[in-house]
Amino acid sequence: MSVKAKQVIIAVLGLVFLASLILVQWMEVIRRREEAGLAPHRVAIPVSSMSCVKCHQQSSPGIIDHWKGSTHAVKGVGCVECHQAQKDDVDAFDHYGATIATIVTPRDCSRCHKTEFTEFVNSHHALAGNILASLDNRLAETVEGARVPFNPHSPTPGRDDATMVNGMASVNVGCKQCHGSKVALEASDGSLITVDELKPDENGKPTNPEAVAAVRRDADGRPLLHESSWPNTGIGRINLDGSRGSCSACHSRHDFSPRRARQPENCGKCHLGPDHPQKEIYEESKHGVAYRDLREHMNLNAHEWVLGKDYTQAPTCATCHMSGHSRNGGRVTHDPGERISWTNRPPVSLVMDTDAEGRVIKETDPAKRREQIASSWQEKREAMKQVCLHCHTKNYVNAFYKQYDDFVINYNEKFAKPGQKIMAGLREQKLITPAQFDEEIEWTWFYLWHHEGRRARHGASMMAPDYAHWHGMYEVAERFYMELIPQAREIAEHAAESGQSDQAAAVLALIDEVLARPEHQWFEQEKKAREGSNEAANDSADNASE
Amino acid sequence: MGRVAEWFAERVPISGLELRELTNEPVPNHLKRWWFCLGGTPAYLFVVQIFTGILLAFYYQPAPNTAYESVRFITEDAAFGWYLRSLHKWGATLMIAAVILHQMRVYFTAAYRRPRELNWVIGMCLLMATLLTGFTGYSLVFEQLSYWGATVAANISDAVPVVGHVAKRMLLAGDAYNALTLPRFYILHAAVLPTTIILLLVVHISFIRLHGITELDDGAASQEAGHYDFFPDHLLTEIIIGLVLMILLSVLATVLPAMMGPKADPLVTPEEIKPEWFFYVSFRWLKLFSLSFAVLSTGFIIGAMFLWPWIDAALRKITRNEDISVYIGILATLTLIGLTVWEALATH
Repeated sequence: MSVKAKQVIIAVLGLVFLASLILVQWMEVIRRREEAGLAPHRVAIPVSSMSCVKCHQQSSPGIIDHWKGSTHAVKGVGCVECHQAQKDDVDAFDHYGATIATIVTPRDCSRCHKTEFTEFVNSHHALAGNILASLDNRLAETVEGARVPFNPHSPTPGRDDATMVNGMASVNVGCKQCHGSKVALEASDGSLITVDELKPDENGKPTNPEAVAAVRRDADGRPLLHESSWPNTGIGRINLDGSRGSCSACHSRHDFSPRRARQPENCGKCHLGPDHPQKEIYEESKHGVAYRDLREHMNLNAHEWVLGKDYTQAPTCATCHMSGHSRNGGRVTHDPGERISWTNRPPVSLVMDTDAEGRVIKETDPAKRREQIASSWQEKREAMKQVCLHCHTKNYVNAFYKQYDDFVINYNEKFAKPGQKIMAGLREQKLITPAQFDEEIEWTWFYLWHHEGRRARHGASMMAPDYAHWHGMYEVAERFYMELIPQAREIAEHAAESGQSDQAAAVLALIDEVLARPEHQWFEQEKKAREGSNEAANDSADNASE
Repeated sequence: MGRVAEWFAERVPISGLELRELTNEPVPNHLKRWWFCLGGTPAYLFVVQIFTGILLAFYYQPAPNTAYESVRFITEDAAFGWYLRSLHKWGATLMIAAVILHQMRVYFTAAYRRPRELNWVIGMCLLMATLLTGFTGYSLVFEQLSYWGATVAANISDAVPVVGHVAKRMLLAGDAYNALTLPRFYILHAAVLPTTIILLLVVHISFIRLHGITELDDGAASQEAGHYDFFPDHLLTEIIIGLVLMILLSVLATVLPAMMGPKADPLVTPEEIKPEWFFYVSFRWLKLFSLSFAVLSTGFIIGAMFLWPWIDAALRKITRNEDISVYIGILATLTLIGLTVWEALATH
């Protein structure tokens, strides 16, 4: 080959090489634009899901567009990968040649996300479905609605479909949407088939063939999910395969955005309102204020989002309770209870010593208690302190926890335990009925601990002074002194009038015992002193007139 | 001569013409065929490796708790990081392939024979240094496979009689993989081995210049006997090869970029441990025999490779067959390819 020919070849190859570098630059620009959210990222539609995407793009484009925005779409995880089912799954059906199920359970997600699944099932979140048939649920099932359908008072003008009223409506759209439903299939005899009937084995396969055979299916062979249990993304949903929870409670389908799960608004679907306004409390705190101002700098799109590496501007709910940080090697947890040292959920706050199954230990005997502890509250607090230390000094953090502990203990000892004692006394003496919420004092007590008491304690836990005080302890105190005590006395006095003098005396003695304690003495000290002096004055007047 | 040129000529008294004369060695005509130019290919790729390696070293942090994250940062966050890492990865693959192909060409054309025996030994040292560089580089990523690959390699070296245990301790900086292991691999990969390769290359090329390029000694070559100039003719050929290599590397880096495997977990042994492709042959060999036999036989084979120029001379004398090395070479190549493919296809 001549030198001239070689020079030509070099020129051509040089241009090709230059073109390859320009291609690399172009790829880098595209990548940066995708990361900055200025361009949609590339989507890899797996062959198995191509027909799903094609059809649903027309019929339900929202699902497809959300999915296209997910990491799943980038990594080639399509519809079938998550919705796939086996023929022996009770909710499986054939959908254009693919065997799928409508509901994707945590067990399905665990095919790829094993660690997250394990952490989640050990969390309190996974047990949220236990509220069904509890005290709270009695409110929605019985007080707000009715456990059995009832006749309407009169037809609703414009609607001719109202035959019977569904008294469970409040439970279905209220409680269950946060706590989770017990997913139910319709049976051909009109009854419901749940995990209780299916009795799934450890692999989630039903072991009761009769229950499986009884499932009612539509003309296409699709099993019918009962509307009392689905749609539902409650975090403690009890699924047909025996698994608990719903990953989409926090990782909304179908984009499963980590960015969204990192923001407090995500938790705000459930953690807000009068009884546990954690989101509003957070917003009032310095943490929330900093977040609102600096969220654009918090690198919320980061791959791992490690506190101390990817951001330090402000914490969100996820930061403190779940996310990885520079002091724990970036390890994320899907058990938000791992760093919580007090549970402020019950009437009287408890320290978060938990057993092997993650349940809060209520044992009072110290030796037995020690035996049961798998994870102590001190360990959990230390884990939380490691988060705090990214922005605060050790002295600051320790002093905060002293303030918080003192606050919770003050609430427990001054109002919660006495209140609990008085309510138990009334019940023991049979001065109130065993049924909940049929007497005014039960509502009073419920407001005291369930709404105001929690607001106060959560306010203290997240440094929101207004919630700790005005929305919290102030209202607790008012409810205690101005409603609970007078109502309890009134019940006792009525009882005494109707001949139950012993029972009434027992309750009144209990109230007096509570109020005689130094922390309550201020309340009636002066009134009693005044009553005493009035009585003495009356006596002397009587004597004089005699 | 301009004033600037004069200024330089005074301070750097080297004549361009003399330098050109000195380096313009006549190149045998058979080098016009590209496969005779494979010797320059690893050198090219070595330059690419040094260039990309330096840029990667700006971000890489060689410690167990930072290594994987820093590689992830390079791959996913740093500007052009994915491209540089992919170039480095594919550069290593091509460099090792080029070294092996170059060695096979030298072997089958018997270019190692007297008086070039020592340069063959230098070449063998270069092969070993290149493989070690590949191994240590692969370990730096701190993925499950690279971590367990390094652990297995250390255990293998432990099986070598007498020096094995010391070698293992030197490699791992202790009896087991520990916090000092990665920094040690890093120093070997980024400083010790590249310096060794550069020194060996200087000697290797010097020998070539001193001996001259081997003249081809067969019937076909006689038709193309004669020489052509290094400047500019052969230099242009080398530039073409270099450009083709760069384009190939760029295409591989963009079409098949380097990915991240799962992070190393000392508590979880992967179901399947596989080394990099260039160790498939020895890995399969290990699986075929007992550990001690496999290690001893591997040592024997490598020793024979080092001493091959003299073994070959002896064999030719004994068998009176000038082509005996070709037959052995074909057998060895087929075994090498066979074992590599076998390991590549095998799941366990």
